[in-house]
Amino acid sequence: MSNPRSTRRIGRRLGAIAVTAGMCTLAACGGAGTDAEGGSGETVTLQFVHPEVAGSFDPLVKAYEAEHPNVRIETTNVPFDQLQSTLQSRLGQGDTSIDVYTADPSRIPGIVARGQLLEISDLRDEAEAATIPSAMEPNIVDGSLWSLPIWTSSQYLYYNPDLLAQAGVEPPTKDPAKRWTWKQVTDAARKAQAAGAEHGLLIEQVNRYYQLQPLAESLGGGPGLEGDDLLTPNLTNDPWITAMNWYQDIHEQGIAPRGIAPDQMGPLFSAGKAAFYVGGPWVIPGWKEEGATFGLAPHPYFAEGEPTTPTDSWSWGINPNSENVEQAKEFLRWAALTTEGSLATIEKILIPPTNANAFDKYVTRLDESVPGVTDGAGDLMLHELENTAVHRPPSPGYIQFEEMMVNVFEDIRNGSDVEDRLAKAEDELATAFSRLR
Amino acid sequence: MRTRMPSTPGVVVRTAGAVMVSLLFLIPLLWVVASSFRPGNSAFGYTSPFTFEAFVPLGGDVSNYVALFDGYFVRAVGNSLLVAAATVVFGLVLSVFAAFALSALQFPGREAFFVVVVLSFLIPFDAIAIPMSAQFRDWGLANTYVGLILPGLANGFAIFVLRQFFLGIPRELLEAARVDGLAWWRILWQVYLPLCRPALVGAGLMLFLSQWQSYVWPLLIGSDTEHHLAPIALANLRGQLEVNFGQIFAGSVVLTLIPGLLLLTFQRHFTDSVAATGIKD
Repeated sequence: MSNPRSTRRIGRRLGAIAVTAGMCTLAACGGAGTDAEGGSGETVTLQFVHPEVAGSFDPLVKAYEAEHPNVRIETTNVPFDQLQSTLQSRLGQGDTSIDVYTADPSRIPGIVARGQLLEISDLRDEAEAATIPSAMEPNIVDGSLWSLPIWTSSQYLYYNPDLLAQAGVEPPTKDPAKRWTWKQVTDAARKAQAAGAEHGLLIEQVNRYYQLQPLAESLGGGPGLEGDDLLTPNLTNDPWITAMNWYQDIHEQGIAPRGIAPDQMGPLFSAGKAAFYVGGPWVIPGWKEEGATFGLAPHPYFAEGEPTTPTDSWSWGINPNSENVEQAKEFLRWAALTTEGSLATIEKILIPPTNANAFDKYVTRLDESVPGVTDGAGDLMLHELENTAVHRPPSPGYIQFEEMMVNVFEDIRNGSDVEDRLAKAEDELATAFSRLR
Repeated sequence: MRTRMPSTPGVVVRTAGAVMVSLLFLIPLLWVVASSFRPGNSAFGYTSPFTFEAFVPLGGDVSNYVALFDGYFVRAVGNSLLVAAATVVFGLVLSVFAAFALSALQFPGREAFFVVVVLSFLIPFDAIAIPMSAQFRDWGLANTYVGLILPGLANGFAIFVLRQFFLGIPRELLEAARVDGLAWWRILWQVYLPLCRPALVGAGLMLFLSQWQSYVWPLLIGSDTEHHLAPIALANLRGQLEVNFGQIFAGSVVLTLIPGLLLLTFQRHFTDSVAATGIKD
């Protein structure tokens, strides 16, 4: 039997919890929505959903609310891995509590097909005038504009100068004309490992199509999807097989590590564990803060192919079921198409904006990030965006394609037979796409 | 009276093996705790390969914990505590009434009701979360504490456990109470509950943990920042473009510590519960 004293204590504890919980529940059961603003009309509250860490858009919200006193912006961050499924679930249910949300440009045709984006073609002229040209394309589906690009992206080859010096390797320069080939990178990486580096090469998004598409594209293998509707998988052509064999080899030979997740790559490089790192510019502020030693150079390519680099980032669109469409459109326009708004979106994240005026200022900021290291990084990015960037395929089946490719890359990284795995992926994609035609 | 096991070589080897296995289980936890005292992502400086410092935070600091207590994470932990506590209180009331009805009262279809209860906790909640969240939105319960608490209240497993415990109480006690003229609710209050407090603690902890670990439902229904629960806040420490592992480790320690302390506090009542179950009838 239980001890009466102790059971009384339990009773008291439960009682206290009950009272507290009851009071708190009653006090706190409020919902979001429209707040009345004393005497001068109503304040509209816009709900904005994004995958960045909390507070990333505080500067944007502050600046926008200062210019638009009758609008409040509530930002909601959804963990990146659950963003797509959460948005699909909520938008698919006709949720009216999302006004503006982030959309991956390559997924926009699929999202449009589901009826989850509001057409905003009336902003098209203004958008084309304000935006760097290459960024608009993925946001236009069937001749209509559905979202506005906010950011774009490119990738660099980062290196650890100390580890290269230790191995007697001359580091690459920032000159795109002297861009290193993948063979040069792996040769230097091997030497660095022989001289004590733990890892030779770290690839930031090691299992994501965004980062690995340029491997096959560099050899002329195409994006992996073809046909007028981009619903015919083509992953078993020679360039794709060659690129994936190279990708598998660097892992089998221990130049690149297995079993390390994408978000651990940056911390490992900044800890001085690797000679090379292929990744975006957003790592620079964190590495600077951590005192990491690094240099940067153009993204590598295959000698027998052409230089190609990943690109694009988030676009923002409006929920067709939003109850505040006009306010949402104005918020979107301000964030994407005005210099002030665009700069506010990148105040806490060092990622290139797609607004042309803001991009110029970003280039200066990027160049000045780490004196002596990042000088010229802005020009290099501009060069890549204009000459080597490859968009992901705007296929209505891209969502399924991208999710399936994560498994394909992981399997190949871990030793699956390349040709068999790519052929299997083609079959699976053909089945999945047959439902979309 | 306790008896000492003889210290034969076999016992020593088995004990040493058990201790070794326990230590192996502790290693990941130790790494997380030590890394929570490493600022930013510097914990990775001691991995690949792992060094002694990966498990002993020499030269570390508490900056990750300080950063966590900037408001957002603390609020989310507070939300989780509120939701879990309310679920324990109201969920226990519901479970006790249901279990009492399914064990002490005799009515047609009682067993069928019980089968429904058992089946209800066999259906994975995640499978029904999405359509249910649409219903909750229609009812205006999105981004409210009621919306977060409500699905956790009717916990089939808690009802099952309490019913089994109630069935262990001799029926003679119930009949004697009825002969003495006690109303049903007084039988529950004065006879059943005093005998079943350890089981209540067990069911309460189950209800607490089910909400403390809840992820999919709060992601769907508690989507604004003010209603984020602790697991969501922990996941949000990792953005698409930046991640602070030090804070993630510290957040993980905090989220482990709270139910850990609760379990330790009520550990003895669990033991009582097991012992009491054995001597019934």
